[in-house]
Amino acid sequence: MEPLTLDLRDELRRGGEPLPRILDAVARLAPAQDLRLLTTFEPFPLYAVLGRKGFGHEAIHHGEGDWEIRFRPDAQRAPTKPAAAPAASTPATPATPATEGWPTPSVVLDNRGLQPPEPMVRILDAFEHLDAGAVLEAVNERDPVFLYPELQARGAAIHTEKVADGVRLLIRRAG
Amino acid sequence: MARIMVASRLSRWTPHFFALALVNFVGAQALVLGGVTWPAESLGSAGTLVAIHLLVIGWLLLLVLGALFQFVPVITTRPLESQTAALVCLVAVEGGLLGMIAGFVGATGGIPGLSGSLPVGGGLVTIGILIAAWNVGVPLARCRPGSLPGRMVMTGLAFLAATVTLGLLFGSVLSAPAALPRLAPVLAAVGDHALAGLGGWFTLTAMGVSYKLLPMFMLAPEERGALGRGVHVVGAAGFAVAIVAGLATIWHPAAALIDLQHAGEIAIGVATALYLWDVRRMYRERKRSVIELHDRAAIGAFAFLGVALALAAAAAAVHRLDGIAPALVFLIVFGWLGGLGITQLYKIVPFLAWLVRYGGRLGRGPVPRVQDLVRDGAALPWFVAYGAGVSIAAVAAVLRWPTAFRIGMVPVTIATIGLCLEYWRAWHARYVGTAPSVATARPLSTPSSLSAHPGDRP
Repeated sequence: MEPLTLDLRDELRRGGEPLPRILDAVARLAPAQDLRLLTTFEPFPLYAVLGRKGFGHEAIHHGEGDWEIRFRPDAQRAPTKPAAAPAASTPATPATPATEGWPTPSVVLDNRGLQPPEPMVRILDAFEHLDAGAVLEAVNERDPVFLYPELQARGAAIHTEKVADGVRLLIRRAG
Repeated sequence: MARIMVASRLSRWTPHFFALALVNFVGAQALVLGGVTWPAESLGSAGTLVAIHLLVIGWLLLLVLGALFQFVPVITTRPLESQTAALVCLVAVEGGLLGMIAGFVGATGGIPGLSGSLPVGGGLVTIGILIAAWNVGVPLARCRPGSLPGRMVMTGLAFLAATVTLGLLFGSVLSAPAALPRLAPVLAAVGDHALAGLGGWFTLTAMGVSYKLLPMFMLAPEERGALGRGVHVVGAAGFAVAIVAGLATIWHPAAALIDLQHAGEIAIGVATALYLWDVRRMYRERKRSVIELHDRAAIGAFAFLGVALALAAAAAAVHRLDGIAPALVFLIVFGWLGGLGITQLYKIVPFLAWLVRYGGRLGRGPVPRVQDLVRDGAALPWFVAYGAGVSIAAVAAVLRWPTAFRIGMVPVTIATIGLCLEYWRAWHARYVGTAPSVATARPLSTPSSLSAHPGDRP
C-alpha cells in the first residue's frame, strides 16, 4: 500500500506548527499504511509521540535540511538510519538481568557511519526527549566514552554491550 | 555480554601539555632563525644541543604525552591511573628540560655553576617520563592484547625506555668520565639514541595513534589486518635489531654485527613503506567523501616521511647515511612528526574545546558544531607555508647551505605562530557566532512541537 505522504518542509521553513496535521494524518491512515514525512530536520520528539501509538520509524537524511521519515504501524521497528550508514540489521533486544523490567526502547538510533561527535549529539538529543522511565537504544561503531559522563550527569541508567560491528547501548531516563 | 563502561572526560592537563609544547617548538625555531644551530653551527654546539632538546623533549615529547593522556583512555576504554600524575609529569619534564638547557649552555660556555644542571635536568625529565609511562602503561597493559594502536603505543613506550637509558648513560659518562671508563665509548651511540627516540618511540607511537585518529574522522576501517600488524612487527623488530646491533658494534665492530644492523635498517624501511601504503589505503577506503583540512594537511606529513625514506635508502645505497643524518633528522622532526602534530592538533583542539564548552548543553538547545570552532580558510595558508618552508629547509639541509636553511625556516616559524593563534581561537571558541553556522541537527527556528528544546515536548 502506498504510504500517506506529508511534505512539511515549506511549512517548517515558514516557522509553522505541523503537529496537528501529523496527528490528523495518523488518524486517517488505513490499517497497515505507512506515514511518510518530508521535513527539514530529524524530529526526535515525534519518534516518542508516534512510538507510543505503536509506530516504528526509519529516517533517511537526503542532505542539508532534507529528511524523509517513514513511520510504520507495526512491531518490527526499523532503526533510524543515517544516509551513509551501512546496511546492517539491528540486534533484537535481549532480556538481560541488568535491563530486566526496562520497557521496549521507544527510540532506536543507528549511529554507524557517523563521524564523531555526531553519535553523541544524536543520542543526547533523543535522550532529552524521552519520557521519564523510557528507554533509548543506540548502535554505535565505537564505544562513546565522552558520552557517558554527560548521560551520568543527567541521571541516566546505561547498559552497553559489544555487538558484531560496534557497541549497543540501552539508555534509560530516570523516572 | 555486558561490558564495563568507562567514562572519559577531557584529560585535565592535556591542553597545558599542548600549549607548552607549542611554546617550546616556537622557541627552538627562533634559535634556528637566529643562526645559532646546525647547519650554521656544529652539531655539538650549545645552540644545536639546546634546539634539538627543545624540539624532541619540549615539543614532541610533551605533545605526544599530552595526546596519550587524552587518547589512551579512548583506545583502551580504561581510565588513566592519575590525573595529578600528569601535572607532575608536565612540571618534571619542562623543569628538567630547562635544567638540561642550562647544563648545555654551561658546559659549552665554561660556566662552572651550571655544570650540575645537566644531570639534574636529565634526572627530572626521566622522572617525568617514568610517571607518564606508568600512567598510560597500566591501562594499556590491562587491556592486552588490545587494539593495534594500543599495541604500537606499548612498543613505543619500550623504545622510550631505551632512549632514556641511553640518554642517562651519556649524562653519566659526560659528568664523570673517569668513573665509568668501560662505558665511555657509549658516547658514540648518539645515532642509536636518536633512532630509538625518533624512530622506535615517536614514529611507532605516532603511527599507532594515527591508526586510531585517521579512521575515526575519515570513517575508514579501523581494522588494518595483516598490513597493520606487519607495520608494527617489522617496524619494532627493525628498530630493536638496528639499535642493539648498532650498540654492539661500538665495542665489537664485527662484520656480522654490522650486517645485522643493516638488516634492521632495511626492516625499518620496509615497515615505513608498508605504513605509507596502508595510510594510502585508509584514505582510499574512507566513507566520507570530503577529507577534512587536518587530514588533507596530514598528507604533507606522510609525504615528508616518504621523502625521508627515499633519501635514507638512496644515501644508504651509496654508503652516505652518516653524512645525510642531520638532514634526515630535520625531515623526521619537522616534516613527519611535526607535520602530523600540527595537523592533528587542528582537529584535537577544537574537538576537546567543543566537549568542554558544549557537552553539557547537548540535547538541551542549539550548540555550534565542532567545525564551527575553526576557520579552514584562515588555517590553510599556514599549512601550505609550513610545508613549503620545510621543503626548502630540507633541501638546504641536504646541501649544507645555512642561509637557505634559515630562509626556509622563516615561513615555518610564521606558519607555526599562525597555527598557534588558530588553536587559541578554537580553544576559546572565538569563531563561534562569527560565521553563518547552525545548531546540532536542526535550524534554530523550528516549531516547538518537533524541536529539541526542553519543555517543548509535545
